[in-house]
Amino acid sequence: MRSPSSLKQEFLKRWMRGLQRCTSSSKKDMNILERKKVIKLSADLAMASARNGKTSWSRALIANASRDNDNRILAERILGPESDILIKRVSTSVGTVSCNRKIRSKKILKRSCNSVRRVRKGTHLPHQKVLAKSIAKRLVQKRTQILKRLVPGGEFMDELSLIEETLDYITYLQAQVDVMRCIASATELKNRNND
Amino acid sequence: MEPNPGTLAGSISIRPDQEETGFESLQFREEIQRLIAVPPENASSFTALLELPATQAMELLHSPPSEDGDPAPLSSDSLHGISDDHKSYISSFNGNPTFPSNKALIERAAKFSVFASGENSPETSSVPSNSSANLEKVKSEPAETDSNPNSSQPLVSDPTVESKTQRSAKRKEREKKGKGCTKKSKNETSQDAQKLPYVHVRARRGQATDSHSLAERARREKINARMKLLQELVPGCSKISGTALVLDEIINHVQSLQRQVEFLSMRLAAVNPRVDYNLEGLFATESGSLVDSNFPSMVAPLVCPEIPFSGSRQHYQQQWHFDALQQPLWGREEDSQTFITPENSLLSYDSANSASLHSNQLKMEL
Repeated sequence: MRSPSSLKQEFLKRWMRGLQRCTSSSKKDMNILERKKVIKLSADLAMASARNGKTSWSRALIANASRDNDNRILAERILGPESDILIKRVSTSVGTVSCNRKIRSKKILKRSCNSVRRVRKGTHLPHQKVLAKSIAKRLVQKRTQILKRLVPGGEFMDELSLIEETLDYITYLQAQVDVMRCIASATELKNRNND
Repeated sequence: MEPNPGTLAGSISIRPDQEETGFESLQFREEIQRLIAVPPENASSFTALLELPATQAMELLHSPPSEDGDPAPLSSDSLHGISDDHKSYISSFNGNPTFPSNKALIERAAKFSVFASGENSPETSSVPSNSSANLEKVKSEPAETDSNPNSSQPLVSDPTVESKTQRSAKRKEREKKGKGCTKKSKNETSQDAQKLPYVHVRARRGQATDSHSLAERARREKINARMKLLQELVPGCSKISGTALVLDEIINHVQSLQRQVEFLSMRLAAVNPRVDYNLEGLFATESGSLVDSNFPSMVAPLVCPEIPFSGSRQHYQQQWHFDALQQPLWGREEDSQTFITPENSLLSYDSANSASLHSNQLKMEL
C-alpha cells in the first residue's frame, strides 16, 4: 500500500491548490456553511483526484460531486484545468457502472435461484446448525448492505471488490482526518497567538 | 452412492494433470466394449482412455502385474489393475498374449506422450475444476463399465468374476491410499498453482467436489484474506472473531472517520473568516509549540524554506525539482539537510519513495 505520509503530503498539496483556485475566483465572503462545504468538497476532490480514477470510490465521489448543477461548477473550478479529463474518465466509468448494474441484477437473480435450489437439495447438517448458519449469514448480509451505503459507489460492487474499496477508503479517510486536524489546530493556535 | 464410487475411486487415475477426463470417461465405456469385441483395434482407445505419459504407460504394459502392497502413486496402481483386467479380457479372446496390441499401444502411447507433454501446461490449466468435477463422473463410470463388460461377455464370465473381485479388493486399498495421498497431491497442486495461471484446489477429505463449491471456496478464501487485512487496519479489530462483528467494527470506524471529517471542516470554516490557508504564514510562529506528532513532520519542511523566500511556490518547485532528482541518494543520510530535501520531495511528485523516506526520517528526529 502507499505510505501514509506521502499520501498526506499529496493530499495536502492538492487540497491547498484546490482551495486557492476556488477562493481566488469568488470575491464575496461566504458564510460558514458555504465555507464548510467548500472545504469538504475540495478535500474530497483532492483525494479522489490523487487516486486518478484507479479506485472505484474516488470515481464515485467525483461523479456525485458533479451530479448536481450547483456543485458541478464548484467542483470543476476546484479541480482546475484537468477537470475535463477527469470528469470524462469518470463518466465513462460510470457508464460501465450502470451496465454493471444490469449484470449485477441478473447475477443476483441467478444466485437466489441457485441458493434456493441448493437448499432444497437438502443440507446434511442438523436443524440447529442450519438455523445458526442462516442467521449468521443474514447478519453479515445486513452489515454488508450498510457498508455498501457508506462507501461511495459501493452499491454495485460484489463482496470482494467492496472489501478492497473499503481498505482504500479507510486509508484515505485517515489521511484526510490527520491533515485537517493539523491544519485546524495550527490555525487556531496562530489565531490565539495573534490575539 | 458413497461406497460404490469410493471403492472405485482409485480405479481410474485421478490426477490433476489429467486431460479431459469427463469426455474420456464416456469414451471409456464404449471403448471397453469395442476393446473386447474387436481386440486388434484397441490401440488408440486404450491410451486415449488412460492418457498417461508414455513412460508410465510403457512401464505398466511391460511390467508384470504388481502386488497390492505397493506404495506407488495412485495412477500406476490403478493402471496395473486396469491393464491386468484388460489383459485378461484380451488374452481370453485372442488366445494370443497381448503382444501385438501392446506394440501398437506403445506406439500410440509414444505419440500421445509427445502430444501430451507439449500441451501439458495449458491443458492442465483447463482442468482445474474439471478434474475434481469429474471425480464423481469418473467414479460413476467405472461402476457401469465394470458391469457392462461382464454382462456382455458371458464367455469370460469366470475370469472376469475373479478379476472383478480382485479388482474391487485392489481398489479399496487404493482408495485408502488415495485419501492419504490427497494431502500429498494437494501440496503438489498448490505448488503447481504457483506456476500456472489457474488456482488448483484439491478437494479435501469430506468436502464436496462440485465445481461450484470449489469456486465458491476459492472465492471465500479470497474474501477471508481481505478481511484479515481490514482487521489489521482498523484498530481493535484483530481480537474479534466472526465476520459480523468485524464488519460492525469496520462500519463504526468508517462512520466515525466520516463524521470527523465533517467536524473538522466545520471547524476550519469557523476558524478562518476567509477560506485561505496560507501555509507560509501559518507555521512561521508555530514550529516549536505544537504537540501533534504528524504536525512537525509535515510542517517543518514547509516552514523553514518558505520563510526566507517569499516568492511563489511554483518558482521553487522548478528550482528544487532539479535538485530532488539528484538528492534521493545522499539526502537520506544527511539530517541537517532534511528541512530542504523534504520540501523538494513534497513538491516533486516523481520521487514518492524519497518523500516517504525523508518524512520518516523527520518523524524520527522530531
